Order: sequence, then C-alpha cells, then structure tokens
Amino acid sequence: MTIPEASSQPARATKPEELRQTFEALALPHLAHLYRLAARLAGNGQDAEDLVHEAYVKGLSAFPGLREQASIRGWLSRILARLAIDRHRQQPPEIAVGDLQELDRFSLYDLIWDEDPFPYSDTLHQDFLDQFPDDEVRAALLRLPDAYRVPLVLLYVEDLSYRELAETLSCPVGTVMSRLHRARKILERELWECARRRGLVRSDD
Amino acid sequence: MTKLLSCEQAVEQFFAYLDRALAGDPLDDLEAHLENCLACCDKLAFSRRLDSFVKRRLPQAPVPDGLEARIRRTLGRTSTE
Repeated sequence: MTIPEASSQPARATKPEELRQTFEALALPHLAHLYRLAARLAGNGQDAEDLVHEAYVKGLSAFPGLREQASIRGWLSRILARLAIDRHRQQPPEIAVGDLQELDRFSLYDLIWDEDPFPYSDTLHQDFLDQFPDDEVRAALLRLPDAYRVPLVLLYVEDLSYRELAETLSCPVGTVMSRLHRARKILERELWECARRRGLVRSDD
Repeated sequence: MTKLLSCEQAVEQFFAYLDRALAGDPLDDLEAHLENCLACCDKLAFSRRLDSFVKRRLPQAPVPDGLEARIRRTLGRTSTE
C-alpha cells in the first residue's frame, strides 16, 4: 500500500466521509496485527474482538491529530493497549502477586538447579522448559494481571523501548522497569507451580 | 571506573539488559561483572531463553470472520452521524 505523500502532515480531510475513507485505507490493512495483539493482551474471543473494534472507533476520532500517518500501526497498537489497561482496571488481579520482595528474588533458574528434576541431563534448564505444552505457557501468560501482562506483551510484540512503554501506559519509566521484571518473575513462578502440579518436581515447599 | 557488582546486584539488572534499556555506567558495570562470573552468564542465558520461549508461544490468532465488516459498519455510522 502506498502511504500518501503528505505523510508528515496531520490528516485534514474536511468531510467526515473523506476522513473515514482515508482512515480505513490506512488502518484496516493492520487489522491482522491488531487482532493478534489484542488476543495476546486479552485472550482469544469476544474480549479481543471488542478491543480491536473499540480501538478502530477511537482511532477514527483521534485520526485528525495523527501527525505521522506512516506510523499508524504503532499508533493504533498503543490506543489498543491503553484500552486493554483501562478496560480491566476495575477487575482484581487474576493471581495474587503476593509479597513483592519475595517475588523479586524468585529464581526459576536456581529452583531447577536445586531440584534437579533431570539428574543425568547436561541441559537441565532446557529440559525443564521442554516439558510444557504451548497451551500451558499461554495460559500462564494470560493469568498474569493486566498491569504486568500488557507491558510484557507490548515489549515482546511491538518491541517498544521502556520510554515508549511509559508513554503508552502513562506511568514512569521506573514503573515500566519494575513491572517487566515482576511480569517475568510471576511467569517463572507460574511455570514452577505448573511443574509441581504435574509432579515434575516435589510438591512440598 | 566501573563499580564492582555483587551477583545479586547483577541479577537485578538482567531484564533491563535484555531489553536494551541499560546504558552508560550501569551497562559497563554489568558487563564487567559478567566477564568474571560464569554463574551469572549462565543465569542470564536462561533468562534470555525463557523470554524467547514465551515469545514463541504467543497465540497466533487469525482475524475472526465478520470482524472487519463489523468495524466498517461502525466506522460508516460514526462518520455519517
């Protein structure tokens, strides 16, 4: 698709109908990307569909202010991410974050090392990860509270810098840093719990 | 002059390092530690592996039938209101 010449200018179509046509031509080719992002942020299904739908509606109304039309994909992705955060703000976290200091120190690497579930393996940590079906990893990711999952997914999918994440999520860079740290620690803890449930490692503490 | 980090201090910086968010002195300090600490190198490699392990398992999710039409309908209504 050709990006219009005046890509550094704000969209200034005078009639709403022209504005909509321009917006659709620029924005709808990114539907697959946005839906995939939504599914990763909110899980498959109606939630993801509604998020994408809302992001497009919001995108059209904010479109006249978009200065760089060439960056519309990232711009829409960030609108969608903000909606995902706002939408779930009222809901309690899906898993208890627990004692944060203890969480920060949690180390799946050390636990695997101590537990040694594959005594004769030279690739102990890889063998541990190989035990998990894809679905289980996805489920663990979706169980992360939004405040942790959203920045992590945006980092993985959109490859945003900490500064860009901070702008998107309207929080300080330090908060982004600690959420990304904790998101990974919660995931590590979840994987360890999964391994315990499957009897791969001891189930006592 | 690089600061000598303990293993605990080094580990705290791992994710920022993997996310290319470290620069200047903190980056130099961590790299100096890693040059001399095999245990931390191994731990860092695991964190990197875990990141790509999760990343590769993110859902692919094809666009559901009818979603584009639903969006077009709403946008059409919005612009004629």
